[in-house]
Amino acid sequence: MPKLKLKLLKNKKLKARQGYFYLPAFFIFIDMKRKNILVLLASFMLFASACSDDSEVDSIKPTIDIGFTNAFPNNCDTIYFGESFQLKLRFSDNAELGSYSIDIHNNFDHHSHSTEVSECDLGPVKEPVNPYVLIDDYSIPQGLKAYETNLTISVPATNEGVLLDEGDYHFYISLTDSEGWSVQKGLSIKMLHR
Amino acid sequence: MHKYIILFLCINILSFSAIGQSNCVLEGMVVDQNNQVLPGASLMLYPIKKGGVSDRNGKFEISDLPKDTYVIEISFIGYNTLVDTLIINKNTSYNAQLTVSNLSLSEVLITDNYAEQRKREEALSIEIVSDDDLKKNLGGSLMNSLERLPGVTTINIGSGQSKPVIRGLGFNRVVVVENNIKHEAQQWGSDHGLEIDQYAVDNIEVIKGPASLMYGSDAIGGVINMKNSKLPASDTFGGLVDLTGKSNNELLGTSVSLYGRKGKFFANARATYIDYGDYKVPVDSVDIYSYRAPLYKNHLRNTAGYEKNLHVSLGIAQDGFISKFYVSSVNSKSGFFANAHGLEPRNVDTDLHDKSNRDINYPYQKVNHFKLINTTQYEWKKLKFDLDLGFQRNFRQEWSQYVSHGYMPAVFPDTLAFHSDLEREFEKFVYSGNFKISYQLNEKTEMFFGVNSEFHDNQIDGRGFIIPAYEQFTLGGFALVRNNFSEKSSIQFGIRYDYGQIETTEYQDWFPSPVDENQPTNLQYLLRAENIDRNFSNLSWSLGYTYNAENWSFKANVGKSFRMPIAKELAANGVNYHRFSYEVGNADLSPEKSYQFDAGLEYQSKKLTVGISPFINYFSNYIYLNPTSEHDRLYGNGNQVYYYTESEVIRYGGEIHAYYDLLENIQLGLMGEYVYSEQLSGEKKGFTLPFSPPASAIFSAKYHKSKLGLIKDFYFSVDYRLTASQNEIVPPEKTTDGYQLIKLGLGGNIEMGKQKVNISMQVHNLLNTKYFNHTSFYRLINVPEPGRNFIINISIPFSGYF
Repeated sequence: MPKLKLKLLKNKKLKARQGYFYLPAFFIFIDMKRKNILVLLASFMLFASACSDDSEVDSIKPTIDIGFTNAFPNNCDTIYFGESFQLKLRFSDNAELGSYSIDIHNNFDHHSHSTEVSECDLGPVKEPVNPYVLIDDYSIPQGLKAYETNLTISVPATNEGVLLDEGDYHFYISLTDSEGWSVQKGLSIKMLHR
Repeated sequence: MHKYIILFLCINILSFSAIGQSNCVLEGMVVDQNNQVLPGASLMLYPIKKGGVSDRNGKFEISDLPKDTYVIEISFIGYNTLVDTLIINKNTSYNAQLTVSNLSLSEVLITDNYAEQRKREEALSIEIVSDDDLKKNLGGSLMNSLERLPGVTTINIGSGQSKPVIRGLGFNRVVVVENNIKHEAQQWGSDHGLEIDQYAVDNIEVIKGPASLMYGSDAIGGVINMKNSKLPASDTFGGLVDLTGKSNNELLGTSVSLYGRKGKFFANARATYIDYGDYKVPVDSVDIYSYRAPLYKNHLRNTAGYEKNLHVSLGIAQDGFISKFYVSSVNSKSGFFANAHGLEPRNVDTDLHDKSNRDINYPYQKVNHFKLINTTQYEWKKLKFDLDLGFQRNFRQEWSQYVSHGYMPAVFPDTLAFHSDLEREFEKFVYSGNFKISYQLNEKTEMFFGVNSEFHDNQIDGRGFIIPAYEQFTLGGFALVRNNFSEKSSIQFGIRYDYGQIETTEYQDWFPSPVDENQPTNLQYLLRAENIDRNFSNLSWSLGYTYNAENWSFKANVGKSFRMPIAKELAANGVNYHRFSYEVGNADLSPEKSYQFDAGLEYQSKKLTVGISPFINYFSNYIYLNPTSEHDRLYGNGNQVYYYTESEVIRYGGEIHAYYDLLENIQLGLMGEYVYSEQLSGEKKGFTLPFSPPASAIFSAKYHKSKLGLIKDFYFSVDYRLTASQNEIVPPEKTTDGYQLIKLGLGGNIEMGKQKVNISMQVHNLLNTKYFNHTSFYRLINVPEPGRNFIINISIPFSGYF
């Protein structure tokens, strides 16, 4: 009887999976009828603890590194209106990187918290009038496991002729790999007019 | 135990042929004191221990009786047992009248016999839970109370919201039926709980496996059928007061019900009020990404809530006719963990949030679910008609502080029709109708024909878009034949045809966005969803076999089920605030089709029960929200894009259960479950499905005694749950470690004079273990499950005669 059940597992890869250990054990138990419930309990322990992962799929997330010299921006950094800055981030993945996106939005109401451990000094809460917004997505050349961004982002000083609001902003980076695993980083930054 | 087998054999004996001319037949009828028939009463003749059950017309027949003097015992739960002496020397007719015993309503009707019989009859794998079991296993929500059943898990958010998952399938793949009408709400949302009053449920039947045949689209994963079938005995009245307390979230709940029956008419009313605070987790802080959000006194900030429910039912019952109106209003408000709404670490005003652990601040959800249902049954000769009509309105609002994202204006304009803080609103009207005819063709064959239809009208409002407004119509018809072709075996075959139509309404943003990144001044109001008009049709079928011998029972079922794509799968185009993903529908999806083979094998002896129920299931096109490597530019904050796609999926697994009466008063038990899923095609080939429950087992020991001092039906139980780690994951999930939990239960009935009081106490997570539930919505942001929780439920029944 147990052999019959096990034949369902044509796929070699699946043979080691824990769930089927209990089938043979179960039938042994029936054969013995109520002689020894411990057999069943013990085999079930085996089933529950034998759960090694032998899957061949990619289950590793990519990483965003801002911990190297010249990395920009870092938590609590300042970006100036009317100037451009170099985005310097290092991305890596075990298999293949996907794409990334950048979002800069105001944090005048302190609604966002950075994902970083370090705290930054936030200015007083205020109402936005003409805040700066940037949302964009960027591709990464195909087939790369490591990539360093080399992107120049120019920040305007005005929007429709009006000066953009200075203050606390949130700089949000999202990175994916080709399998769809993703990782995010949210940084607190200041945006000021020089 | 033997009683059930004899009982079962006797049902088959009804198809008797008069063998042995010298032996006699005893036939008759069982009625109550108002001459209303009593179906399901058990009869037993001593000393030969031969018995039977009354059929649905209250009639019974026991054949092949040697001429002798017998003692007959007729019993029915809720009624006094009748014992009489009979001299049988020719074919004899005997009519019995039972009188109501002074028991609480909760003990009437739902009996172990029923559950056992139903399980043996049904070719699909089913579990039946009575309200007593529910009280003994009271969890955070109704669905949590069911989690002890092998094959049933839940998807949770917070302490009071959970959704059923059967063998790894949930959301729109499990149908929830209350009072014969499909419960329809916004089931697609993982953070949306089930709008059902757990005190108002008498018994629950869980069908594990595809049941499209009887329930139509959506029942592809299984059915949770909640019945409110209790009918008060004639000329009685009574009620029940339930009081519940839980230590972890300082929950206080009460539900009071009243019932009465005078002649043909009966009525029932219930009011429930539950209020709970923030739940406590056994950690001081929660790591959201690398940000450590400190928790105040272990409280998961802003997870308090309340529930206020009202139910009224009125009905009439007379010869072969019963009709019942049921009106209910279920209302709840509950908060979301304030630091992580949208899975983005959020600053919170800790002074405001930590002021009280009972207040509900932003973000929160508020839901009203109204139902008006009529169920009518009519029996005429060999025909039985069932008509169910239902109206439902589900009104859901999700509130959070306005935070502009994407190109929403930084300051909310005051020219809009909705409030700035109304994140989303859904208003859904659902009209349902079922009609079923059952026909007893002959003693061996029963036939069923039915039609089900539903119309949905869904409206949306609020600042955020996720699903469009839509109208949906479905109509299905089925035929099912069951044949008991031998004493031990029966076979059933059914076929069903469904037609469905869905029309979604286009949606345009209320704010302009720069569509061309090179021309930032070119602003347009984006059309997020177009008008979609789709028709679907499908033929599903099911073939089942059951075999019941003295110690062994075997069942097998093979069938095809289907599910129509829902509006969200066809037309979603927006940010999921709870996961901060950008979700995009696919208007070209075809109906999901699933083929499943189920089997069940059980051995029962006097002291031991062991059973196994394996299944294997193949989806030709499982509809799945696939996270891609893309990012969205126009909404949210550059979120990762998830597309609805289809892939081939294979799933298999099963459950085991074993009970052993170690001593007269001690029962040992074991329940285990396992599911394996794998995508066989598409972009996530080789990956599992989202929210795959890990393997788990419960070892239990229960001591019970019918009388211990002043306590009747005393029990003390220990459950040791062992859950394996889940390493089979799919983006964006995290692997989850295994865990071990201990749960204690203690209770019984105390009689003070004539008043009976039922007490059930539990301790969940006795050792205050920190563990993560892989199928919890909060798993992704590392929120552990609730810590130690003391639960007490006190039920005080009262009753009397008019």
